[in-house]
Amino acid sequence: MGDALRSQEVGTLRPDGNVGTRTKRYGGLERASGAQKYVADLEFPEALQVAIVTIPVGCADILGVDTAEAEAMPGVVGVLTAADLPSPMPRFGVSHKDRPVMADGRVNFYGEPVAAVAALTQEQADAAARVVKVDYRELPGVYTLDAALAPGAHLVQDPSDPTKRAGDALRETNVIEEQTIAWGDLAEQEAKAALVVEDSYSYPMMTQFPIEPLAVIAEPTDVGGLTLYTPVQHPYLMQRIVAGLVGKTLGQVHVIAPDPGGGFGGKQIPKYEPLMAFLALKLGRTVRLTLNLAETTTAIRRAGATVHARTGFTSEGDIVFHHVRIDYQIGAYADVAPRVMTKGSYVGGGPYRLPACLIEARAVLTNTPVSTAMRGYGAPQISWATESQITDGARRLGLDPARVRLRNLVENGEEFVKGEFAGKADGEWKQAVEKAMELAGWDDPLPPNRGRGIAVGIKSSATSGLSQSLVRLLYDGSAIVYAGTSDMGQGARTIWAQTVADELGVPLEKVTVISGDTDLVPFDLQTSASRSTVFMGTAVLRACRDVRRQVREMYAERVGVEPGELDDEPGAVLTAEGAVALDEAARIGLGALRGEVLGQGTCRLEGRKGHPLGGDASFYEFNCSISEVELDAGTGQFVITRHVSVSDVGTELNPIQVTAQEEGGAIMGIGQADMEQLVFDEHGRLLNPSAIDYRVPTYKDVPLELFTSAVENHDGPGPYGSKGMSEGPILCTGAALGAAVTAAAGVKITDLPLTAERIWRATRAAAEGAIA
Amino acid sequence: MVTYYKAHAVADALEVLGRKDVDARALLGGTDLLVGLDDRLDSAPGVVVDLKGLADETPLAVEDSGVRIGLTVTMADLVANPTVAAWYPALVQAAGVVGSVAIRNRATVVGNICNASPASDTAPALLVHGANVRIASADGERVVPISEFFVAPRVTTCGRGELVTAVELPRPVPGTGSAFQRLTRRWGVDLATVSVAAAVHGDGRIQLGLGAVAPTPLLVDLPAGTDLADRAVLDPVLDEALAVATPISDIRAAADYRTAMVRELAARALQAALDSTRRTQA
Repeated sequence: MGDALRSQEVGTLRPDGNVGTRTKRYGGLERASGAQKYVADLEFPEALQVAIVTIPVGCADILGVDTAEAEAMPGVVGVLTAADLPSPMPRFGVSHKDRPVMADGRVNFYGEPVAAVAALTQEQADAAARVVKVDYRELPGVYTLDAALAPGAHLVQDPSDPTKRAGDALRETNVIEEQTIAWGDLAEQEAKAALVVEDSYSYPMMTQFPIEPLAVIAEPTDVGGLTLYTPVQHPYLMQRIVAGLVGKTLGQVHVIAPDPGGGFGGKQIPKYEPLMAFLALKLGRTVRLTLNLAETTTAIRRAGATVHARTGFTSEGDIVFHHVRIDYQIGAYADVAPRVMTKGSYVGGGPYRLPACLIEARAVLTNTPVSTAMRGYGAPQISWATESQITDGARRLGLDPARVRLRNLVENGEEFVKGEFAGKADGEWKQAVEKAMELAGWDDPLPPNRGRGIAVGIKSSATSGLSQSLVRLLYDGSAIVYAGTSDMGQGARTIWAQTVADELGVPLEKVTVISGDTDLVPFDLQTSASRSTVFMGTAVLRACRDVRRQVREMYAERVGVEPGELDDEPGAVLTAEGAVALDEAARIGLGALRGEVLGQGTCRLEGRKGHPLGGDASFYEFNCSISEVELDAGTGQFVITRHVSVSDVGTELNPIQVTAQEEGGAIMGIGQADMEQLVFDEHGRLLNPSAIDYRVPTYKDVPLELFTSAVENHDGPGPYGSKGMSEGPILCTGAALGAAVTAAAGVKITDLPLTAERIWRATRAAAEGAIA
Repeated sequence: MVTYYKAHAVADALEVLGRKDVDARALLGGTDLLVGLDDRLDSAPGVVVDLKGLADETPLAVEDSGVRIGLTVTMADLVANPTVAAWYPALVQAAGVVGSVAIRNRATVVGNICNASPASDTAPALLVHGANVRIASADGERVVPISEFFVAPRVTTCGRGELVTAVELPRPVPGTGSAFQRLTRRWGVDLATVSVAAAVHGDGRIQLGLGAVAPTPLLVDLPAGTDLADRAVLDPVLDEALAVATPISDIRAAADYRTAMVRELAARALQAALDSTRRTQA
């Protein structure tokens, strides 16, 4: 819980400081102008180019791989197959070490590598990859949740394999993990219900769609180690996993992670890096793999879900019970998806005061590409159902859906998950709803063909974490901060620069931020779950305080006073005679030999044994979204005339970045609600990998009016009372937009995305039903 | 490895495009060709013949009798021409929604029809505007009505060793109105799920051009003088006329939705064409 993290030293905003202001993005000009070097921009003149060999089905036994012709092709230097890897096949993962470096006798999803070809040029590698002969026998793979859960279904993972499912009670099924969250007596509460809403919902698979596709360069070092260049969100996890697989020490595996061009969760867990590490070590050469957008779309995705929900309401609109069964379609290997399921379903009851609740969730293996983390984790899937249920209940009771939410929302400190591992509200969430209603003009009448919808979203952030930071105050008054957070566009570097500038009294332009290099930067667990502001932010803050303490002590010694007679504050050492600027005090303290002051900060949150999330959430993200649409009933197309997103952020450390995250999250959520979906055929092949048929919003698709705002009560566990906030605006976008479409069309839509065809079909079916 | 060849004259281009020993592809804006190559899916041609620097090319020529769209004329060029806008509203509306601003600055009208996508944006409009396609070869020139130009998806009557040098549009008779309607999955940068161009000609003819509902763009004639304002008259006429549409189900839409939408868009396009006639008369 936040209390474990919260300390007395969160700091107060300096009235003349940088924190809290619209400070310009650190490195923003380079990012916007194209000067920033992404991994694919790095030049390795000696590198071999790599092409991955795959087969055009999602599930097959591999009977043979013949590389003779490929190896004889011009420019080919080497081919890696499973036969070149240690036996048994090395596997990796986080919760389950189930993913093989490359297909292990069986292809379990479309795109799983069967071989890799390294050649002097990409064209040569591609040409050779096409002539690698893979003899395979297609198996009746399971590509949908229904197929995977059917009796006698093909099992995606071999139940007898001791490295995977052996000893697992569910091993004879495709369910890799399940979770039940329950409190109260459903039957008893149902007796009090004036209305029970029951429906089924579906949420499609979709991809993170980072503008920078995946890329990895693996380079053997002169001293038997390995350097990996990869745009990864978790360089230290990459280091640990690859070092373990290839049998090197952490110090021998050097991960360089240039700022990613968007991650959205898709760049957390290794994918091709282990394969590339083995290839580089086999050939003793630098090898380089750059995927295009379509290949990246095939490689990373969010879990789809099907949901069945029953919700009871009193006639006044009190929710008396909520029962949800949700299945997440996670793919062929675990990755982080079991945790997507547990975290998503934990908040499945929503931020409401529920007398009884039952959430039954399963993470289901299918022969589809591996799903991983994505902005919102497992919350948007379940929120789509839970929030649509509440909208439907309000409509059928003739009540205002916003006021039904306000009526049931928990107060600050009140439990919304009950029981041993309760979840408590950690903010004034009603304020976000009220602000959103005001911005949306909630009670204003609408013209014909318009509809308005509201939803709220909640997500638990990190339940454990460790971030370490170093801050160096140099002799000339400049500073360098080392922070392992990956800045993938969220603006982490800017926040560290603002913090250091304020805490040390250094001008912003004299602060340098170093990240993305495991040889230079101390440990950070990961850049995920909107944790960095809270965890790394606290580590940076503590490193700055450590610098100040040292300067104070050095200064005291140099001027011959007891350290206890002095104090420090942001940017200054306080003496009996008055404040001495910190850089001046540091110069006096350092003396003639100069040198520098090196501060260290750590932020650690241990998990809690037995907790379904592994620990109490460090904070919750809360959001309220309101959509307004104008529907063209003839075609089913709609225009989003207005969208409002309001999140509880604790404190805006940089309002322009908060706005950017809020707007970006809302637009991404809108795309995922109204057009995005991955579609697979009956052989498990992805039908729409390219940008032509995997649609994301363009500027013409964003709402005509987009309003965002933040609730600030300075009540977060992070520096200056901040909370993480980058996922809030995507949590309930689907449900808000769906409610708006439902209001305009007069029919309830239960499946995403909200395509024109789907809306047209639903309205036509309703019209025919009405006639019949 | 693909060879790049920069042609300086039509004859020069024809010579390379006519070679039997190499698969040559013409390059104009590259908005279809290069995307295909980039996806590493299409088999790469042996040589790409760049036509953007032809010295003997007439770009956009407006004459009393009509308009000649040379092979380097881009969508943006077309949209910016006031005479084209006045005479051919359907074409300008269609050209104005191709891709994005950046794509319209590169993509050419000739390239768009030669790519012969069933979902081509300009084809339905060119059909109702009565366009003719001028095709050059070493043996001389021939002119084909655009209604006979499209053969199959990605196939036209322009064969190996031939080059479309221009699309020619006759000047509409006075009182003609036209309009274009398109359905897409999103509002910006998309391919048509269904498209319809309509022309209500000053001489009484009524035509529809249909996109993405058959292997090639289709031209349909409605009975001359049909009262477009009277749905009781129009609906059965449309039912009969649109029976030629044989849409498929694919990743973009199901067949029955396309069938319903071509009907919906046809009615809207006809109404808009009629309105543009009235505007011209006023």
